[in-house]
Amino acid sequence: MTTVEADHAVRTAGLDKRYRRTWALRDCTLTLPAGRVAALVGPNGAGKTTLLRLLVGLLAPTRGSVEVFGQSPATNTATALSRIGYVAQDHPLYRRFNVADLLRFGHACNLRFDRGLAERRLAALGIPLHRKAGTLSSGQQAQVALALALAKRPDLLVLDEPLASLDPLARREFLQVLMGAVAADGVTVVFSSHVIGELERVCDYLVVLNHGRIALSGDIESLLADHRLLVGPRTANNLDHTPSVIEATHADRHTTLLVRDGGIPPAPGWQPQAVGLEELVLGYLRLPAPDGTGLAAEDSEDAA
Amino acid sequence: MFVFRLDSNSGVPPYLQLVQQVRQALLLGFLQPGDRLPLIREVVESLAINPNTVAKAYRQLEHEALVAGRPGQGTFVTETPTATVSPAIYTSLRRGLKTWLHRAYTAGLDEESINGLFSTVHHEAKVEGVA
Amino acid sequence: MIWLTWRQHRGEALTAVTVLAVLSAIMVAVGLPMHASFNHDIVQCIDGSAVDREVCSTNLAVFQKSYGFATGILTLLNVLPFLAGALIGAPLLARELESGTWQLAWTQAVPRVRWLVVKVVALVTLTVVLAGAFAALITWFRQPLDAMYGRNGLDGFDVEGLVPMAYGLFAFALGTAAGAVLRRSIPALTLSLLAFVAVRVTVETVLRPRFQAPLTLVENIEAGSRGIAIGTGNRTDWTLDEGFADASGQRLARTDINSLDDAARDAGVNLATYMHDHGIQRWVDYHPAGRFWNFQYIEAGIFAALTAILLSAVIWRIKRRAL
Repeated sequence: MTTVEADHAVRTAGLDKRYRRTWALRDCTLTLPAGRVAALVGPNGAGKTTLLRLLVGLLAPTRGSVEVFGQSPATNTATALSRIGYVAQDHPLYRRFNVADLLRFGHACNLRFDRGLAERRLAALGIPLHRKAGTLSSGQQAQVALALALAKRPDLLVLDEPLASLDPLARREFLQVLMGAVAADGVTVVFSSHVIGELERVCDYLVVLNHGRIALSGDIESLLADHRLLVGPRTANNLDHTPSVIEATHADRHTTLLVRDGGIPPAPGWQPQAVGLEELVLGYLRLPAPDGTGLAAEDSEDAA
Repeated sequence: MFVFRLDSNSGVPPYLQLVQQVRQALLLGFLQPGDRLPLIREVVESLAINPNTVAKAYRQLEHEALVAGRPGQGTFVTETPTATVSPAIYTSLRRGLKTWLHRAYTAGLDEESINGLFSTVHHEAKVEGVA
Repeated sequence: MIWLTWRQHRGEALTAVTVLAVLSAIMVAVGLPMHASFNHDIVQCIDGSAVDREVCSTNLAVFQKSYGFATGILTLLNVLPFLAGALIGAPLLARELESGTWQLAWTQAVPRVRWLVVKVVALVTLTVVLAGAFAALITWFRQPLDAMYGRNGLDGFDVEGLVPMAYGLFAFALGTAAGAVLRRSIPALTLSLLAFVAVRVTVETVLRPRFQAPLTLVENIEAGSRGIAIGTGNRTDWTLDEGFADASGQRLARTDINSLDDAARDAGVNLATYMHDHGIQRWVDYHPAGRFWNFQYIEAGIFAALTAILLSAVIWRIKRRAL
């Protein structure tokens, strides 16, 4: 294992995933450095859950490769599994188990499990050990699921829409615990979200997924520095095809361009403006799906 | 113990908000030389923000010689405060700004146009090397 | 993992044990007096040591009246090995899949194949123990009935010996496989039931009679006897079919018997004499009672093989993909 590989928490190359006749992911190539907190954003149905399940070994790729700290998670070995923590969508728990049972379950099924740490965390949150998981509130269930995953002391923590069903206070508490774990252990985090608003305070890496393809990925700071909005007088439409123009929005008298040009001085007549994270993501999400006929041709190839 | 805030909607990058809050506190005397800034872990757990953000803010403050890290102990406000703005200049700047604002509102600009104008001119000034 | 298996399945396990305990209590309560009555009044009638045949007839009639209901109950009890297996097997995978906890279970540090194998081994053992206890209980209960009527049919062969355990295993395997494919517990249970009944009926009606080549008894008919004998003379044998054959050995159809009956009446003799005079013999295709254990091994073997195939398929599938 080279040093370069050891530095990367996640590496995918040409990752494809197909279910029967539909492609969930196409040609996903991604490199996530260790220690980052990465946001995976995209609309529902974009393939976020599929990608996350591929990261934790619950799915195997149709084509391409996935590596987590240099190992393929699909090998499903105890050591590979023990390096990864996972909280699935809606934080499933054994509802008839009480919290103590769940901790015992974690202890019984893992090579490394810091039960004391989990108990202290849950006590600090006021979650009693004898309550059945099914009777806890959504926020408390999310905290228990997170505690179970963190007690494994994983190197990579993967969360599928962890904040979706939580009220604002529960969301804040969840992120407090999560960020505390990042500060204490340096764990790499990937979580998916279809809400962009709260991400910037927590994440430093971004992956935008749409129509099963990665539209954009990178360090948030670099991405925001590379992109700008340029506002200028209404132009003819053929400006849209300049390579660095991601999106052009035309009003009656002015045109707004979202460009990726590394911050070079703009042409005369164009006012540069910094672009916010949400605007950036939306600009990439509004890009149309790649030419449909390409996919259909491949489908019929597979059928032949 | 100094307490940070974070406004997700302010448009200012999080790390910069932290830096500005420390600068502001130093100006107004809420932070004294020798005070310990909260540990990164403490800030992270109270604000739910990325630890790298806090680290970056603290590094920026160190670069500006406002604070200094002591290994194993934390980050402390430096004994010798560097160029602080004297209260007199501060007051005069505020007065000048109020006058300008009054002129702008009278001329018919609203808050958004004023902010837009300020951003544009500020940006120009930075490019020209004034700021 | 053992603690986890127990904790997740203790509900079903305890229910099954309770049902078995209640059933045992009832069967013992009915069975003890039945055994006593048999030993006192009946046993001498069937081993040939009885003196008074009239008393035997009466005793048999009384015994029949008191304990005849047991046949129906025993037939119904066929459902228990199915329930023991399917109620434990169907939720094994289906419950994890329908509640989403498969995502929790298979991202701990236990590889999913090992998770499944440990659970299957533990729960299969439980099923075998439960079904075995059931079979032992019924076998004891049926001692008088076995002596009187043999160990055949739904109320005899199917609930004694080895086959209840094999049926239970098969039901468990069906439940597990259905749960893996359908991903819902109740539909899995329903599908298991349909498949179980289909396979059981096929094996019992089509295959079991052919486990070994049946024996055939051919007998002359006694002239002048009032009734025509049936069966092999041994009440415990399994009679597959019986009928009459003409002098050349050709088996006669039902319709032919009716015309014989008419012919005998026309000739003014009783049917037995008429048949005797025309060289008509009776035949019985049967399996002797002594083949009971052979057939138990064969049938248990079939269901055990089906179980192994189903469970291997499920494990192989889980190894390849979680969902």
